[in-house]
Amino acid sequence: MSAAARIKTIVANLLFAAGLPVLILVAWNALAKKPDEAVGAEKFYPDPVTVGRAFADNWIGPAFAHEVLPSLYRLGIGIVVSIVAGVAAGTVIGLLPWLRELTEPVLEFFRAIPPPALIPIVMLLLGITDTMKIAVIVSGAVWPILLNTIDGVRATDSIMTETADAFRITRWQRLWYLVLPAASPRIMTGVRTGLSVALILMVISEMFASSSGLGYRIVYFQRNFLIAESWSGIVLLGLTGVLLAAIFGFAERRILRWYHGMLEVERG
Amino acid sequence: MAERTTMLRVDHLRKVYESPRGDVEAIGDLSFTMGAGELVCIVGPSGCGKTTLLKCIAGLLRPSDGVVEMDGVRVTGPTPSMALVFQEYGRSLYPWLTVRSNVELPLRHKKLPRARRDRLIDESLEAVGLAHAAKSHPWQLSGGMQQRVAIARAIAYEPEILIMDEPFAAVDAQTRADLEDLVRDLHRSRGVSILFVTHDIDESVYLGERVLVLSKSPTRVEESLKIDLPDDRDQITTRALPRFTELRTHVYGHIQRAKAR
Amino acid sequence: MSLRSVPLLRRARKPLLGAAGLLGFLAVWQLIPMLGLIDREYLPYPTDVAARLTQELVDLAFWRRLGLTMQAWAIGLTIASLAALALGAVIGLVPFLRRATHTTVEFLRPIPSVAIVPVAVIIQGISIEAALIITVYASFWQMFVQVLYGVADVDAVARDTARSFGLTMTERLTKLVLPTALPYVMTGLRLAASVALILAITAEMVIGNPGLGTLIMLSRSTPGDAAGLYAFVVVAGLLGVTINAVFRRIERRVLHWHQSIRGEEIL
Repeated sequence: MSAAARIKTIVANLLFAAGLPVLILVAWNALAKKPDEAVGAEKFYPDPVTVGRAFADNWIGPAFAHEVLPSLYRLGIGIVVSIVAGVAAGTVIGLLPWLRELTEPVLEFFRAIPPPALIPIVMLLLGITDTMKIAVIVSGAVWPILLNTIDGVRATDSIMTETADAFRITRWQRLWYLVLPAASPRIMTGVRTGLSVALILMVISEMFASSSGLGYRIVYFQRNFLIAESWSGIVLLGLTGVLLAAIFGFAERRILRWYHGMLEVERG
Repeated sequence: MAERTTMLRVDHLRKVYESPRGDVEAIGDLSFTMGAGELVCIVGPSGCGKTTLLKCIAGLLRPSDGVVEMDGVRVTGPTPSMALVFQEYGRSLYPWLTVRSNVELPLRHKKLPRARRDRLIDESLEAVGLAHAAKSHPWQLSGGMQQRVAIARAIAYEPEILIMDEPFAAVDAQTRADLEDLVRDLHRSRGVSILFVTHDIDESVYLGERVLVLSKSPTRVEESLKIDLPDDRDQITTRALPRFTELRTHVYGHIQRAKAR
Repeated sequence: MSLRSVPLLRRARKPLLGAAGLLGFLAVWQLIPMLGLIDREYLPYPTDVAARLTQELVDLAFWRRLGLTMQAWAIGLTIASLAALALGAVIGLVPFLRRATHTTVEFLRPIPSVAIVPVAVIIQGISIEAALIITVYASFWQMFVQVLYGVADVDAVARDTARSFGLTMTERLTKLVLPTALPYVMTGLRLAASVALILAITAEMVIGNPGLGTLIMLSRSTPGDAAGLYAFVVVAGLLGVTINAVFRRIERRVLHWHQSIRGEEIL
């Protein structure tokens, strides 16, 4: 490819990536009234500059350390605990057919409970504490990880297992070199779902039971009719979601490099 | 040829599968022995329980009746003296491991010194002509090359007997010829005994020092045929020998009779 | 044991074990407050919960609330599915739109739906409309993404073949795109249905529009009504199980001709 053609591709990619977001922002800016000119329902849709200013005032600086970081910390702990617990329990259950058949209906039921409905119960059992907020996150995020791990472990190829038998591969090596890698695509699917559940539960648990944190701030804005501030909450949670998705994408590409490579070869 | 000491003894082996719709007798009453250093091919009509037989021999399946003995010791589970090469190379190699790690995995629990383990891996990859592909993943290689990896993994395990279950059924003809010669090479240069299952009559005659013809299910040994072809074989001249044609016709006849029965 | 009873026992093994697991779970639940590990005030006996549940089942007010939740669920799911189907098909079929919307979708999709609650409440007040906004938002993406995958999955060779035979646009859509995308659409519908239920109940809990979610919040703030809280959560779980089962059923019915071997995502 010539240098000119390469530059052309880069510019095209850039335009495709940034074009629509920029267009939306410009249109939003043009259509929305400034706060002092807005009348009636127009007040509900502040222009992007106002929202940006509210974002900077409310989330950047000391508020970031006081309100955002503790929430993210709880989110992180909750996610790690969910992954460890879900994968560990899922592996054991997936490896033992009798245990799987024994627990299946109970697990199906827990998975089907809308996760936020569990928050009042966790609050009742643990009181309003940091542990409770982490427990809330785990109580919702663990199920997709657990169930996907069970399915992934169960679906380990029979010939791969026989190979491990024939070469007398030890139990721990089998776990590390066969069972977990074989289940890893399914585990990652579960983790992806778990992440979005975890983020939602982090926010809601703080909406119900907190005097600080992201969720608390957002409800505070709503109760006090702070419109631009409420919009800035959406932006912040959007950014958090994007960040989470980016971290996950990075981890997934590393962990499942073999899997994506294999799929590509299969598709030819 | 001097009489070889018996290494593998299969005595009155019988395998019945229990299923909801009744029992299925896969192997009827099957006996044979195999000497140390021998290359024995097993042929039989398709669906005659060849894979079942191999799994019983390798200790992956428990026979319903009869005994499998290795060096006079009864086989009750997988033993370090046997290594398997499966037909489905794509499902027997682990796609998340590199070629080298795939070969290394069975050696991890053998408590070998690091240097010796590395040498075993290097030598076996060298022996199958894949030294250059050690860092690749199996799915980056062609089918024939993947089966070479499986063979390298088996010989690095240093078994007394290499058990191969229709290993070349899924590769193209040219690759298959190369792999057949590789098997004969490994047998002669390393002195490893090989039990080779195939449904291809020509392949069994070309490879084997002895061919066991199986009947159809419930399986038993129809005939044990010594292959008196010269030890130096190659794809063109050996297959053109009149004796080769005689032997393959003989085996073919047996299989036809086995099918008809 | 007779020969015939063995396969029967083997077939009955799974449901029997499952029932045993369920009973075991209930027994453990009963034992924890009985042994005083957790106070009965916080973890009532399952028998308490069952008693409370039967009490609710004969109460018309309960059924009315449940009806409101299901109504919000059905409206939300319908709007989200139709919108996602239309937008997904158009964007998926036009490569230019696909490329141009990529970053926007990647930013909008991860926004947790509850983030929108304050704005929705400010704009719509405490109403079913506010609840619908977040329900639709959350379930829309489930369907939208599946439609995009489905439309993209059309085999390149099949597409070229269709073009070379001069199939019209409509023919190509109905004979090629629709059958390919259908399994994805059905998966999307099932996922969207579960998500819509989650958000319908969540909205009631957070916003306060009446429904099962408000019943949960109400019994939470009523001192001594732990049994009610557990009972309503059990109802929510049973609703989830039912919706899952029904949509799995529909999916299988619609796709019985399709040897769908794709791994399913579990939500």
